[in-house]
Amino acid sequence: MIELLWSVFDLSLVLLLLALAWGTCSTRDVMRAVTLFIAMGLLLAIIWARLKAPDLALAEAVIGAGISGALFLSAIKDYPSTITVSHRTPVLQGLINAFTLALVILMSWAVWHGLNMSDGIRLSDQVVAQAPVSGVSNPVTAVLLNFRAYDTLLELAVVLTAVLTVLTLNDRRYSHVVSSPLLQGMTHWLVPLLVVTSGYLLWVGAHAPGGAFQAGAMLAAAMILLQLAFPSRRQQFSLYLVRFLLVIGIFTFVVVGIWMLLLNDVFLAFDPDWAGTLILIIETMATLSIATALALAYLGGRPMGWEEGARNNSASTENEGAG
Amino acid sequence: MMNDAIIWVIIIPLLGSLISISWSRYASLTAIISNLLALAASIVIVNQVYQSGPFIHELGGWQAGLGISLRADALSSVLLLMSMLVVSAATFYASSYFTDAVKRARFWPLWLMLVVALNALLLSGDLFNLYVTLELLSLSAVALTALSDSRAALQAAIRYLSIGLLGSLVFLAGVALVYMGYGTLDLLALSNKIDASPLSQVAFGLLTAGLLIKSALFPLHFWLPSAHASAPAPVSAALSALVVKVAVYILLRLWMDVFDQVLTPLSAMLLGTLGAIAVIWGSWQALQAQRLKLMAAYSTVAQIGYLFIFLPLIVALPEGSLKDAAFTALLLMALTHGFAKSAFFLSAGVIQQYCGHDRIAELAGTARALPLTTFVIALSGVALIGLPPSGSFLGKWYLVSSSFQAGQWWWVVVIAVGSILATAYVFRILGYAFGPRESVGRVLNGGRKEIPALILALFATLILGFGSAGLWDFVSQHRYFPGS
Amino acid sequence: MISEQLLYSLAGIGLFGIGLRATLLHHMLIPRLLALNVCGAGVFLIFITIAYAGAESRPDAVPHALVLTGIVVAVSATAMSLALGRRLEALNDE
Repeated sequence: MIELLWSVFDLSLVLLLLALAWGTCSTRDVMRAVTLFIAMGLLLAIIWARLKAPDLALAEAVIGAGISGALFLSAIKDYPSTITVSHRTPVLQGLINAFTLALVILMSWAVWHGLNMSDGIRLSDQVVAQAPVSGVSNPVTAVLLNFRAYDTLLELAVVLTAVLTVLTLNDRRYSHVVSSPLLQGMTHWLVPLLVVTSGYLLWVGAHAPGGAFQAGAMLAAAMILLQLAFPSRRQQFSLYLVRFLLVIGIFTFVVVGIWMLLLNDVFLAFDPDWAGTLILIIETMATLSIATALALAYLGGRPMGWEEGARNNSASTENEGAG
Repeated sequence: MMNDAIIWVIIIPLLGSLISISWSRYASLTAIISNLLALAASIVIVNQVYQSGPFIHELGGWQAGLGISLRADALSSVLLLMSMLVVSAATFYASSYFTDAVKRARFWPLWLMLVVALNALLLSGDLFNLYVTLELLSLSAVALTALSDSRAALQAAIRYLSIGLLGSLVFLAGVALVYMGYGTLDLLALSNKIDASPLSQVAFGLLTAGLLIKSALFPLHFWLPSAHASAPAPVSAALSALVVKVAVYILLRLWMDVFDQVLTPLSAMLLGTLGAIAVIWGSWQALQAQRLKLMAAYSTVAQIGYLFIFLPLIVALPEGSLKDAAFTALLLMALTHGFAKSAFFLSAGVIQQYCGHDRIAELAGTARALPLTTFVIALSGVALIGLPPSGSFLGKWYLVSSSFQAGQWWWVVVIAVGSILATAYVFRILGYAFGPRESVGRVLNGGRKEIPALILALFATLILGFGSAGLWDFVSQHRYFPGS
Repeated sequence: MISEQLLYSLAGIGLFGIGLRATLLHHMLIPRLLALNVCGAGVFLIFITIAYAGAESRPDAVPHALVLTGIVVAVSATAMSLALGRRLEALNDE
């Protein structure tokens, strides 16, 4: 009986998910598309939890639905409200539909066979076996920050590259900021709550679901909220501090890695005794970097005065003599 | 300490990028120093592979499978060396190309991230790590393309990013299926485990499709011409010479080593045919192009096509010296094109800054005003056509002989037509450049702008042509999957 | 009964297909971006389904870490695309 209930539950989740996805992709109204997308993100978070992936449920809710949703909502403010799909000829549309359908069928056939392929030692066994030596007891954190730490380092580089691009392209947005006493009042207790939650997620990530990315995104939400509630064209945070925070995550990661290289002859090889501490240090700095990066990404571009240093350089070199 | 060069070649540019974000005043200097150090590291790596064979660095100390491994063998180390040479030359060029200090400050951090991505990709031994490096590569390449800040550049960048993301996701779907069936992500382990099954076939298709998008093989090439043509000159050099090339590298790695049980002669023939179409179509479009950089971009489409024509031949030839020779010839063509195309783009940049435009029909007088640059264009043109003594002459020679040995003589027709078209479009430029014109002002003298391109072109046309003898033995002895 | 793994794998493939189709059909930036995110969600779902080992056993942590990386990469790429779109709009308005 329980089995049947679970199956019904799973089936409804899947059908709802596919319906939301279809809606997001086919609707003609931009606002509706974004709303459905955020709803889909939250449903995905529920599905991750159902599939016993609580770290991901947290991450999806705060990053996948939260930050992504906020980015989209911000972007559609000055965007045409109807979506047109008129550029593709009917023949091409038919081809695309047929091709996608064929691919789906092909992949389903592959998966049908694949799920029955059992294998010898799965990586999960190794993870469980080595987890005690990794310095943390949350296996996902162990994989992220110890076994496959190099991937996380590159991932931080990806985040930094994206933020650098955002800063390169535009000045930050001011148009969407509408403050009110109500928002400011809420901020007084919401922001500290977010900061504390973020710190908790960071700390607890070692032995329970949580970690640097979820914590970073929460902190970003706090920063964004502050900017929304107290808008000011003058830069409130020192730009030197902002630059420092952006790079400190990767920098710490690299320094620790090199230190281990010099000590143990292998990059990012943590001694079991120190692993827990080192991971916490790296995660803390990474949280700060991720938070700064995501907040800047939401703000959409350069804060005032971001490139003054470069402009001063150019002014001084011009004074030194004509090119 | 020497063993660690494989780490330094990735980490030094990364640190350089962080430094250039924090202190934009010293960004140019930081970039030059970082790239030279990374170049030294890549030489150390090649040397080490040469002396003692392929080697591995297991990151974190975890055995490959649980952790990620970095691997260097002949194929990846040679490509790495080429990559660092091109990057170093382009770095010198870029330090004087950008006159606006603001643009310069934006350029260097992203440029160094591109270097990190390239090096990390070439040395990666893990399938998911390849995905992450591909994403880093995509994002930094797009960001650099958008630096031109023109409408055309932004449109090209947006299209480039969308296509790139799609390619990455298709690739990632393939990775998911591989993990589903085989429970590991390590390339060496997978090469031993993967056998023909519905799952591996579909995964193979997905991975290949994603990589074909990124290597701009016809008909998935449509994003390339506008992106490479509207990016700043040093960026275009890196895009055509390196970014597209490493996608082909991953494809080779997967086809030759990991999925060798899964691929069929038919699939290789399909890619070869698309490559042949790319050669003809790309060369034809290059001939029609009105702008120098657009012509070079279409030429890249054609040259990538040549690389894919090798595939059905390598698959068809039996194990042994013939197969190895074809494989090495592919590598040689890839290397030659890398040097030649980057030299070409840097020269196009010089011309564009000097003349204010890069319209081919109005290039009259360039030969007199910019003699060194015109010479470089001629040199790289020799390599693009495939005339002796360039490396691509040897490459095409082996391509032709492999075609006959494998009984697939029809590729020779394509190579001939492609070479004729290449001759046409190269001489078209030179014809205009040597055209007469009244006084064109002072002659530009070399220095940071022109010397780097010259060095690259010399690599393509002389050094690779005469000095590639050692390459054959090196590659056949030191690929890291012994006798797969 | 269809196993949960099969059900959720097919759901992931379905998402992938829906997202892929929409990416190829749309030419406007934001709908295409939404579609790409849907496509990515599909791939993530496939990964997590592989990791799921039933109600009794612990799931495989490696795909969880991979998907976490994937989510962060996706949001970074989204932010970058939106910034590019905004810059193009600004240039078009000039």
